[in-house]
Amino acid sequence: MPDIEPSEQQSLHFVDKLFGAAQASAVFSAPVTTGAYTVITASEVQAGGGFGSGHGFGPASNDATDDAAPASGGGGGSGGGGGSSGRPVAVIVVGPDGVAVKPIFDLTKFGLAALTTWAAMAATLVRMRRAPR
Amino acid sequence: MRVVQTRTLQARPIVAGALRLTPESRVVAVRLPFGGLVWQRPTAVVVEQPGVATRRLPIIDLTRRAQLGVLLGTVVLTVVCLIVASHPQESYAVHA
Repeated sequence: MPDIEPSEQQSLHFVDKLFGAAQASAVFSAPVTTGAYTVITASEVQAGGGFGSGHGFGPASNDATDDAAPASGGGGGSGGGGGSSGRPVAVIVVGPDGVAVKPIFDLTKFGLAALTTWAAMAATLVRMRRAPR
Repeated sequence: MRVVQTRTLQARPIVAGALRLTPESRVVAVRLPFGGLVWQRPTAVVVEQPGVATRRLPIIDLTRRAQLGVLLGTVVLTVVCLIVASHPQESYAVHA
């Protein structure tokens, strides 16, 4: 890929590594056995990242009397960032009675989502009522 | 190079007693020129037992379903409220 800039190559390499990390073992924990029971945690995993770069050229100085200033100049920069998060979704329990999948309910996440949704809808309704007809 | 890719992955089987469990997960990957994201979630566990038919137990994300339910319910409720509020209220005249 000769026409791809180094930063973009880095980005593709980073994304390839990110996709390479997407394995089923990343979602399911190692089994933990206690007595007759074996427990496996199943989690949702999200990861992402991005890169950006820019450069520019222009006159170095608008002051015509400054003879020491160069006729033109330029600069550039690049940066990137990323993150990942995980959340347990269910627990797989293997016991004497067989296999059971027990879902995990995240009350905090649900409560925050519900409050945000209701607040947004309430704000929309109030704004619509106040709008001139 | 596809921008959005989805695939189903199977983890290494786990043997617990006479049971053989194969966890499955679903991956959604978005590739962009300057970045990307990967979303991976568990979907099911395949249970194999000698002498018993193979079972596939789905893994349900209860929190996500509850969130979507609240979102959908709130949107429907808001639309109903807007429809009711947009109709002019009937005035009742009192006849003596």
